Amino acid sequence: MSFTPEPGTPLAQYYTETQPRIGAVLSRRSLGTLDAVTIGRYAMTIGALDPSHYDKQAAWSAGHADVVAPPNLLAAMVEWGVGTPESCLQADGTPVDGEIPLGDLGLRVMGAGEEMELVNPVVAGTEVVLETTLESVTPKQTRSGTCVFVTTTNTFMSVDGAVFNRNRRTVVLRNPVQEA
Amino acid sequence: MSHMFRVGDELPPLKHTATPLQLFRYSAVTWNPHRIHFDEPYARKEGHAGIALHSHLRAALALRCVTEGLGTGWHVTKVAYRLRKPVYAPADVAYTARVTAADDDGMTLELIEQHPSGEVGFEGTVRVSKTRGARP
Repeated sequence: MSFTPEPGTPLAQYYTETQPRIGAVLSRRSLGTLDAVTIGRYAMTIGALDPSHYDKQAAWSAGHADVVAPPNLLAAMVEWGVGTPESCLQADGTPVDGEIPLGDLGLRVMGAGEEMELVNPVVAGTEVVLETTLESVTPKQTRSGTCVFVTTTNTFMSVDGAVFNRNRRTVVLRNPVQEA
Repeated sequence: MSHMFRVGDELPPLKHTATPLQLFRYSAVTWNPHRIHFDEPYARKEGHAGIALHSHLRAALALRCVTEGLGTGWHVTKVAYRLRKPVYAPADVAYTARVTAADDDGMTLELIEQHPSGEVGFEGTVRVSKTRGARP
């Protein structure tokens, strides 16, 4: 018999509402144009000093049309463009309408893992389109309590459909902390 | 000079101290407002032992171990990882990559994030291919 979260909890409500959407394409949208400053800042923040992330001449020498993003930059971006107004963020700061459907139930969320296929490098000046599909919603009983694992598949591509990378990302959701 | 790798070879480990400042900058550059990464009182309220490193930051550091260890003659084509436990800043972490398979087209390496206690916080695999036309 399969495990389900305890009825009446926010996690159970989330599971009931989200599980029927398995297999659905959640969104397909333009994320905007990736610029050289974002690439350079991301590389700087992770400590990647390869000049092809910062210097166009170095990128050309490495065979790229412009400065090139570190491998997981696209997957790491939480919000593109101006993002969500603060008044619309949840108490934990996360946007309700991010790439992974989190709902507005106050659930705690953490990354659990990822598989990523890097098909083509992405360089500055590229407009990026993202398609996200809900792959699975799986409740589990773990040592730290009841959880729901949510997996989405995300395809980052150009406007004409050339794929940059595909990733399959899993987050783990837990019930909100009980106030004392 | 071209360098050949064999099964069992290990790349130089990437040793890193993740600081609250780095987590703040990572949140900023990825426009990530999740408070567990920069708001310590809030993170503790959620049951964390401090501000948590972003999973993608940990993956980025692990990939640096690979790309910097191999040099320009190689590029990453696939990566998969699973987070075993959270890491809280400030934290000393070390990433290692060991060749587990090698063929004419590329290699597979095992990725490990190790903590000073010896615990493994993150494990994964990465596939790399030779970069066409590159001179390693």
